[in-house]
Amino acid sequence: MSRPWLGILAAVFLLPVFVRHTIATEIWIFAIFGLGLNLLMGYTGLLSFGQATFFGSAAYAAGYLLKYYGINIFLALALGIAVGAVGAALVGYLCVQRSGLYFIMLTFALNQLFYFTAYQWTTVTGGEDGMPGVPRPSALGLDIHPPLAYYAAVALLFLLSLWVMRRIVESPLGKILQSIRDNELRAEALGYDVPRMKLAAFVIGGAFSGLAGVLYAMLFGIVPLEAIGFVFSGNVVFATLIGGSGSLYGPVIGSFVFIWLSESVASMWARWPLLLGVAFVVVVLFFRGGVVEAWARFWTWRYAAR
Amino acid sequence: MLYALMGIGLSIITGVLNIPNFAHGALFALGAYFLFTLIQLLGNFWLALLLAPLGVGLLGALIEYAGIRPLYKAGHDYQLLLTFGLSLIVTEGIIVVWSPVGMSQLPPPLLRGGVDLGITFYPKYRLFVMAAAALLVLGAWLFLEKTRYGAIMRAGIEDKEMVSLLGIDIHRLFTAAFALGCVLAGVAGALTAPIRGLNPWMGVDMLGIAFVVVALAGLGNLLGSIVAGLLLGVAQSLVALVWPEASVAVIFAVMAAVLLARPQGLFGIR
Repeated sequence: MSRPWLGILAAVFLLPVFVRHTIATEIWIFAIFGLGLNLLMGYTGLLSFGQATFFGSAAYAAGYLLKYYGINIFLALALGIAVGAVGAALVGYLCVQRSGLYFIMLTFALNQLFYFTAYQWTTVTGGEDGMPGVPRPSALGLDIHPPLAYYAAVALLFLLSLWVMRRIVESPLGKILQSIRDNELRAEALGYDVPRMKLAAFVIGGAFSGLAGVLYAMLFGIVPLEAIGFVFSGNVVFATLIGGSGSLYGPVIGSFVFIWLSESVASMWARWPLLLGVAFVVVVLFFRGGVVEAWARFWTWRYAAR
Repeated sequence: MLYALMGIGLSIITGVLNIPNFAHGALFALGAYFLFTLIQLLGNFWLALLLAPLGVGLLGALIEYAGIRPLYKAGHDYQLLLTFGLSLIVTEGIIVVWSPVGMSQLPPPLLRGGVDLGITFYPKYRLFVMAAAALLVLGAWLFLEKTRYGAIMRAGIEDKEMVSLLGIDIHRLFTAAFALGCVLAGVAGALTAPIRGLNPWMGVDMLGIAFVVVALAGLGNLLGSIVAGLLLGVAQSLVALVWPEASVAVIFAVMAAVLLARPQGLFGIR
């Protein structure tokens, strides 16, 4: 087993000892969310600013069925993944028509469409108040209501997601996506159907977002309207970048830093998004490349010094 | 018309600077709040309407100089994060300074009440906004098409390297273009304030709409932005008559339809 995996396993076991269980759980949920975005942003070179679309709609769909029809937890998770993937297929089909700046703007605009739909469709989503009362059913006869039990379940799903993502990244599809990132024209000249490959990456990313969305709904027992809002989309971009996009473990570190940062400033001041905005600007202006790259640079510097 | 105004401003920024400006909506809101405060300070609507957008433009120039300039080579992801961070700062800053509660602003006495158009009764202020926005759009268009500075800006959209080879200071061009875009956003915000009132998040849906306008129009296509802005405005008002809840959704429906039929946008070449 490689060193990053050992590190992550250690973190999974140690985190609940030091951090509140809810926050610890949130970190891994956010990491799953970030893994999905990283496939788009880091490996395919597609900057999606609308990942909350899939996160939120999966949370709403699964939350609704859990609340009113009491569906099985595995069905809820599968449904969330499916909703994320299908939503991403629809949105992605429109967005991959354009590239560069337009792609970013389209993902954002469609995110806004979903947001306003959720905002106005109050009978289902509760509008601004959110959708409270999402239950957390037991899994395989195990009660996952205690925070630590739910933490364990989420951590397990996270490890599974990480493993799946690693398989995807190292698969032929993953290599094609990276070739698109590095040189789109060349990938096309080699005979790959670039828009279709991009769409595939988008759908996979949406599926991961969907899974994260359902887990989030069950963690807090509510789907807030913010879960589908563009600030959420921006947060996951920030988390992925801060960790270092394009490396498998980047979003994991990023979500760790981001949740820790936002939780600690949130308790300081009600207007914490202001501080968050300042943090974005500072990181962008002074710490480009993220934690993973800073770490790598530190090591090369140390080896060079020897 | 307001959509066209926002669209042109964003189109200039997107076209010349090649960055995603996620702060455009927040600057729109800031225009409205500047107007509100200036009216309270000066007691004069017209002066406030003139100064508020200039204030936004000045801030825009500062943002470009200090924030965006180091990032032209850094890739869209970092530019996006910066402008997104700025939009958070501006929005939350508005809350800190002006409180999160929405406020309303009356139009100036001259423009209160309505006029009888024969077929329907129409508020005077809305007529004024339409006329003012139309004039501004026309003015912006004339500026870009007929003046030397406008020509430089359009050249900057086409080919930045060539422009700088011709001895034009490209950095000054970038700052000017960003500031101009911000002024247009500020005007749109200031004009909107008496119609829809003020709240700190008023720019968010405007931002989405401005992006749609630019995406529909095609890369840096200014005439396209005007047409797309008008198209969206008309579509939205017509749908609002029959099905008010869908009036936001229709914007994105129009966008989806256009992109499926013409992926390069209405007037896009590339």
